[in-house]
Amino acid sequence: MNYSMVRSLILKDWYFQRRAILLALAGGVLSLGVVALGGQAGFTIGLILLVTIMGLISAITVMGNTLGERENQTLAFTMSLPISHLEYTTSKILGNLLIFVPFWLTLVAGCMALIVVAPAIHGLFAFTVIMAVEILVGTCLMIAVALVTESKGWAISAMVTANLAINVVGYLVAHIPGIRNGMWGTAIQWRPAATISLLVEFALIALLLGGAFFIQSRKTDFI
Amino acid sequence: MHSGIVISQTDSRPMYLQIMEQVKQRVAVGDWAPGDEIPSIRQLAMDLRVSVITIKRAYLELEREGVIVTQHGKGSIIAPNPDLSARLYGEEFSEHVEKVAQLGDLLGLSSEEIARRTKEASSRLNEARLTKETV
Amino acid sequence: MNDLSVQFHGVSKRYPHFSLENIHLELPTGSIMGFIGANGAGKSTTIRILMGLVHQDAGTVQVLGHAMPANQAAAKLDIGFVSEDMRLYGQATLAWHMDFLRPIYPRWDQSYAESLARRFDLKPQQKIKGLSHGQRVKAALLLALARRPRLLVLDEPTTGLDPVARVEVLSELMAALADEERTILFSSHNTLDVEQISDQITFIDRGRIIDSDDKEAFLDRWRRLRLLLPPDVVLPRLPGVVDVGGSGRLPVLTTNRFEPAMVSVCNDLGATVQAVDTMTLEEIFVANVHSRREQLTA
Repeated sequence: MNYSMVRSLILKDWYFQRRAILLALAGGVLSLGVVALGGQAGFTIGLILLVTIMGLISAITVMGNTLGERENQTLAFTMSLPISHLEYTTSKILGNLLIFVPFWLTLVAGCMALIVVAPAIHGLFAFTVIMAVEILVGTCLMIAVALVTESKGWAISAMVTANLAINVVGYLVAHIPGIRNGMWGTAIQWRPAATISLLVEFALIALLLGGAFFIQSRKTDFI
Repeated sequence: MHSGIVISQTDSRPMYLQIMEQVKQRVAVGDWAPGDEIPSIRQLAMDLRVSVITIKRAYLELEREGVIVTQHGKGSIIAPNPDLSARLYGEEFSEHVEKVAQLGDLLGLSSEEIARRTKEASSRLNEARLTKETV
Repeated sequence: MNDLSVQFHGVSKRYPHFSLENIHLELPTGSIMGFIGANGAGKSTTIRILMGLVHQDAGTVQVLGHAMPANQAAAKLDIGFVSEDMRLYGQATLAWHMDFLRPIYPRWDQSYAESLARRFDLKPQQKIKGLSHGQRVKAALLLALARRPRLLVLDEPTTGLDPVARVEVLSELMAALADEERTILFSSHNTLDVEQISDQITFIDRGRIIDSDDKEAFLDRWRRLRLLLPPDVVLPRLPGVVDVGGSGRLPVLTTNRFEPAMVSVCNDLGATVQAVDTMTLEEIFVANVHSRREQLTA
């Protein structure tokens, strides 16, 4: 794997999406500011803002740099560079994740901080961690589908699925006995059920991204 | 090295023949003297935007006819042969005479008619030269 | 060092409505090959297989000594590719593209790139989306040439260019060949260009290579013989005749195996040879395709 080429490709994609990325970053800072204003209202609004921006930026960058190559017919130019499907796939996955993850980490850190600080919602710890990783799974789904299908239709379906999944999974997880008991309590607890849930989620991420690599390697028509 | 050769796209003859003819003409008028260096095959190919293989063929034929000499690894020069002009023109003249005979035959002209027409053409040429000289 | 820049052996690729069958191709280093075919004949598919962008279903492909598509990354380091359906990034400038490619290709020649920009009348600071079609083609060619590749693969490089731009491009392509280790493969509709600058020519039709030879050999082999047949004389049987046109007494034979001896043979048989016409590459191609298609339907 040619890491220097992967780096060039990622920087190239970021360059073309610099405005969206910068706006999203500004928005992220703004939402943190709103949270800092304090109070429950500040936190709720700030959080919603952050989640919205996260959703938007991942959709924009994934659609833009993955689907955009075929739409704008630049795929031939990119693939005529000294790379194989390996560098191409890596650059798209890594490039999109690297944009998304900072926002995601901020969200996770913010939620964790809040939960740890307020005894009344200590019980939400496990649930929140699981849901945060679930959002990451959703984004990986979107990246993988866009990359493998190169179709706007499928990519949008993946996006919708990921959004719906948050609700569905949230409901399901909240009803797992090991999680439900104690969710509304005042103690931070971590039961085996939580570990299993996390493992399932990470396995899904590995499946999605590994699957994307595998399918890309089997493609016989790159153009 | 600029060759000064110009290819005509409307000339229906194969390109290598055009090139050969122009090289021979430049030798005949004295532009390129015996022993002079001429552009290498690649240089001429680039200059004329013509494939290397065509130039190679032209040069091979020219060498076979004794017009040029290709020195291994050092490019080509005009052959050091003093009778070149006369011989080259002589070849061309013979070719054209054959063609005139063929065309005359196709037109159904007799040998006398063909000879007469040739003589007239020659006289016209002389007249034109005389008028130019007196002016 | 390999004598052949490109080698296709028994390459096939099957699509639902089209297939490439048994493609053999050999491109000697230092030469320039013109690839001629009708629309949909398979030129672009063959070129994409060469670049590793499409994987063949059968057969082997070697480019600059690398097996394709397995070693495509290594091969592409020495290849400059321009295709008709390729686009540069519209939002960026030509200068951005030059800066992007420069660290990638070890032989990138910045001063050559800049002089090409001047000669092609391109402003590096202009955004690609603001360029006309012809300018975009020249920009793509500039980027391919400036990396000083060992192999240039061009799919329709002069299509859509005005006559002046075409001459500029052809000059640059020929100039690139000054280095004897450099090879060019280009596909084109423009048979005049192909006829003029190619060393080798390959015809492709309906997914099959129908002829491949050195250009001078092509031009030598094909002739149109205009005959005058007296009433009692039968049409002579000559080798390689792919078409008989004209009228009964004035037949025109198109042959792909011409020998000067044929003229005397005809004359001996009583058929006067009025003219032996050379054929342009375009005429040869069309005759070749027609005769082949007739063979298939017969």
